[in-house]
Amino acid sequence: MEKRKHIDSDDEDDKYKSKNLEAERRRRKKLNDRLLELRSLVPIITNMNKATIITDAVTYIEELQRHVKDLSDQLLEMDANCVNEKETTKIEEIDSAKEMKTWGIEPEVQVTSIDGTRLWIKIVYQKVKGGFTKIMEAMSVLGFELTDISVTTSKGAILVTSCVEGTRGGLPDVDQIKELLSEIIKSI
Amino acid sequence: MYEEIGCFDLSNMQQQEGLIQAEDGFSQTHIPNYSNPTFSMEEHLNYNQNHPTQQDVAAAVLEMEFQQQIMQQGETHLMQEIVNDSNWQEMSNFNGNMNQYSLPETPYPTTPDLLNMFSLPRCSSSTASLLHSAQKSPNFLASLGRLGDLNPVDGALASASVVYDPLLPLNLPPQPPLLRELFHSLPHGGYAMGGSRTSGSLFPGVVDERDVNGGDGRHFDNGVFGFTGDMDCIGKNRDGNDTKHLTTERHKRVLLNDKFMSLRSLVPNPTKKDRASVVGDAIEYINELKRTVNELKVLAEKKRSCKERLKRAKRGDDTMEGNIDTGSLDDMKQPYNVSSLRCSWLHRKSKNTEVDVRIVDDEVTVKLVQQKRINSLLFVSKVLEELQLDLHHVSGGLIGDYYSFLFNSKLCEGSIVNASAIANKLIEVMDKQYAAVPPTSSY
Repeated sequence: MEKRKHIDSDDEDDKYKSKNLEAERRRRKKLNDRLLELRSLVPIITNMNKATIITDAVTYIEELQRHVKDLSDQLLEMDANCVNEKETTKIEEIDSAKEMKTWGIEPEVQVTSIDGTRLWIKIVYQKVKGGFTKIMEAMSVLGFELTDISVTTSKGAILVTSCVEGTRGGLPDVDQIKELLSEIIKSI
Repeated sequence: MYEEIGCFDLSNMQQQEGLIQAEDGFSQTHIPNYSNPTFSMEEHLNYNQNHPTQQDVAAAVLEMEFQQQIMQQGETHLMQEIVNDSNWQEMSNFNGNMNQYSLPETPYPTTPDLLNMFSLPRCSSSTASLLHSAQKSPNFLASLGRLGDLNPVDGALASASVVYDPLLPLNLPPQPPLLRELFHSLPHGGYAMGGSRTSGSLFPGVVDERDVNGGDGRHFDNGVFGFTGDMDCIGKNRDGNDTKHLTTERHKRVLLNDKFMSLRSLVPNPTKKDRASVVGDAIEYINELKRTVNELKVLAEKKRSCKERLKRAKRGDDTMEGNIDTGSLDDMKQPYNVSSLRCSWLHRKSKNTEVDVRIVDDEVTVKLVQQKRINSLLFVSKVLEELQLDLHHVSGGLIGDYYSFLFNSKLCEGSIVNASAIANKLIEVMDKQYAAVPPTSSY
């Protein structure tokens, strides 16, 4: 649906015209290629014109959505039914405390100041569910903004290394922070 | 209207060959009745059976003509005069010639009288209405004037259109050449809307005229034309462009745009509104849905086999004590064979968060990109805990204006969480946080 205007052949006009033409052609080609791709995905095809491709795609998407919903409902049902059975089967879980002791890893906290504006924090603690959340909570309470962070798990222990920036005016004392974090680790 | 018109007896067609001449004339005089077609249509329907073809219409016309001939045995000379008359403007002469019909003051005096002559009990009552309609409708005369500008072929068209007027009983003396053309053109496709041009501008023209008249009252079945828009612009322009085609094209485009919009509404992350990106989003979404379906199927399969194993283990408990632990452990390992490896990938975007979730077997990898906000890690870890995901690796940090994080976690055994659930939940929480925290310039 393009309108070709018949303008006087001026050199500049021709340039604009051909640029527009090319751009329009590319635009149409892009749309048509994508429509073809869409058509290839949809299994039910009635006619081969633009309108029916779109309608068929809409129908197919709705069908897929219904399918997903049915399957997930089914799963939920299955899960609800065998909840009690789950408790009877437990895979051996690594006892993290035992592991740490075996490898001689001790929980620790290290806090160092960088340039007076930033802190570098290193924490080692026992891997427990919810431990990371507690540490994050502590960080936010202290008003720290993370510049970067790295967390790894190994041999029943979690190592958290992070560079943080204080947001609340002056930095609290390094030792104080260390104290606080050690307390938190102990509570995990 | 076209369907109703085709209610003439086809069988009479062959007999009407010689009466073609009468056709055009009386069809011309039917024009004043045009503005009130519905009424006449009903009358005519009563009169005739239903034959919905072009040939039928022509046949009906001819039949009318035949009957008229029977009535007007002595008026052939008059018809000859009318035959020679191919110009609309000379209709007034018509009036003079038609004196013997003793018609009232209408420009097309023959009309009512012929009806009476027909002695069709059902149709007679329409005479008055015909007179009525003939007298009013200045628009119609104006359109007639318009038609007068057309060449004779179009004149035939106009008459052709009138031919399909159900008030055919009110026929008038014909004009043979026009009617012959009309007759020949009829089988060629009739009211192909803006379609075949084989018969010249015949049928589009015919249709156009109907459109014009339809503007007076929407008698025409809209389905035929496919649009209810402004009819004023329809019809042949002075410069001869076919605006009917323009309007159908416009309507088609409107429908197509609606379809694109509905497609866009289904997709979870609509970005741009232009057609190409709508289709692109749709493609990605379809792929995502397919992956989710597969993932759910595998999950269901695993769950089912897990249940089976549990049942067997339970039963085994009764029979083989002591061997059960190792047995069940081995069985547990089986779901993780290659054929039922669960894998899925999802990508979701919201205004200020981007989430990418990949699941392979029981490893969940989440990539998160979001605009700088504080405490985002806290919320993410809360969400992951909620979903029973065992976090064991995190890395990321601040990059320019954005936070970018990578989370590696393990699924708990027997968890039915799937990728889309994770992604949706994350996006939901993030968006909530963004809404709650007001923007601060210090960040």
